[in-house]
Amino acid sequence: MRKTLWKVGLSAAVVLLTSTSAYAQLATQNINATAVVAARGRITLTGAINFPDTDPFVSPTINAAGLTVQALARVAVGAGVSLTVQAGGNFVSAGDSIAIGNLTWATAGGAGFNATGTMSSATAQPVGSWTGPGAHNATQTYTLVNDWAYAPGNYVVTLTYTLTSP
Amino acid sequence: MSARTRTRLTLWRTGRLLLILGFLAAPEVAGAQQLNLTISPLIVTFPTTDPDTAPVLSAAPVTVEYRVRGNGNRPWLLTVQASGDLVSGQSRIPVSAVTWAATPAPPFRAGTMSSTQAQTLASGNGNANPTATGTVTFRLTNSWTYDAGIYLQTLTFTLSTP
Amino acid sequence: MHTALVTSAVMLLAAVAIEAQRGTALLLVNLPAQARLSFSATSVTYPDADPTTTPLVASVPVSITITVRARVQRNSQVTLTVQSTDDLRSGVTVLPASLMTWTVTGPGFAGGTLSRSAPQLVGRWTGSGVRVGTQSYRFENRWTHPTGTYSATLVYTLASP
Repeated sequence: MRKTLWKVGLSAAVVLLTSTSAYAQLATQNINATAVVAARGRITLTGAINFPDTDPFVSPTINAAGLTVQALARVAVGAGVSLTVQAGGNFVSAGDSIAIGNLTWATAGGAGFNATGTMSSATAQPVGSWTGPGAHNATQTYTLVNDWAYAPGNYVVTLTYTLTSP
Repeated sequence: MSARTRTRLTLWRTGRLLLILGFLAAPEVAGAQQLNLTISPLIVTFPTTDPDTAPVLSAAPVTVEYRVRGNGNRPWLLTVQASGDLVSGQSRIPVSAVTWAATPAPPFRAGTMSSTQAQTLASGNGNANPTATGTVTFRLTNSWTYDAGIYLQTLTFTLSTP
Repeated sequence: MHTALVTSAVMLLAAVAIEAQRGTALLLVNLPAQARLSFSATSVTYPDADPTTTPLVASVPVSITITVRARVQRNSQVTLTVQSTDDLRSGVTVLPASLMTWTVTGPGFAGGTLSRSAPQLVGRWTGSGVRVGTQSYRFENRWTHPTGTYSATLVYTLASP
């Protein structure tokens, strides 16, 4: 009786032991990832636009140190991007003024930037234009006409850069 | 009383004592206590369920049929012991992970399997006649730390009377 | 003498053998390879952010807790990988899946960069067990990304080769 029990047990075990289970993948799980990329822009200006006092006979024009301009725009594929600048008025010093049209600039480096421009307080002047998202960098060098007719003074004006995407 | 008479009496008394001794020394169990034990099924199998779904695996109930006769009012004992841990190649599951619940209680009782010491499954006094039946449900603590494999071990059930 | 003989008989009785009946059964436990992957979240989102101030955008939630439960053959290797089904897509516009990177905590877990072309290792262990770690995704935020809401499906695979 005891011997028979043992034999039965062994037979069952052998049958099970010979069965194989080949496997590689044990489990899978999915995760959904979503990234929201919204339209936004950033203008970074590095430097100062200062025109030192100079003898107009020696320097009929005065150049300021270069202004680094960075235009960053995240827009849809194919969307237009434009950078403009507009003066808040003429150069003013107390009751005196210098016409803003005496201020011009030249741009070096950076595809899409206009090579030159003349400041205006009436309309925004184009600095650069692009298509689609991107980062754009250049250096603007402003030049002021140096005229004997200017009354002495410390003249200031505000220039506003605007980055737009229609 | 004569010496011959005293000798005969002594011999007779000695013989009677020897007879008594012979009767007393004869195995009282021979032809008196009769034990029968049947375990069914012979293979106790646990289901294959992952530990999150089933932290404890329960095997199909095991039927234990036992019969004790000629036991007078003496105790009887039913024990179970494993021959070692659950083994699959080099992998081991401690046999102490196997427990059981049993009915009817009493005489059956719950317990934890051991390979070092027989564990009491049931006990009582006197006879169990006609055949009595108990049901034992073995349980295994399920764990993700066990190696995959087919584990085996022999259980020995022992019905005994002192 | 009579008393001594009776006493001896009683002592002899005490040495009689115990009667016993035995039966055996076979305990059989079939533990196949099994596994379960659990994630504290099944989606991650990168909110819009200024690329200048936030060049790497953390996901929301900031980390995912991953629980790997695996029962395998003794000393078998267990690996968890992730692969993107595609690049990040918003309509016809795509951003490379490799813009998503991750760092991890927990024994056996590994940081990496997402790919659509090959599964990337997230964790590797030996033998059966439960392993818990966290994964924190980052999205590389650039001014050159076209606007849109991009999505991708990340497929995690637990395997024991």
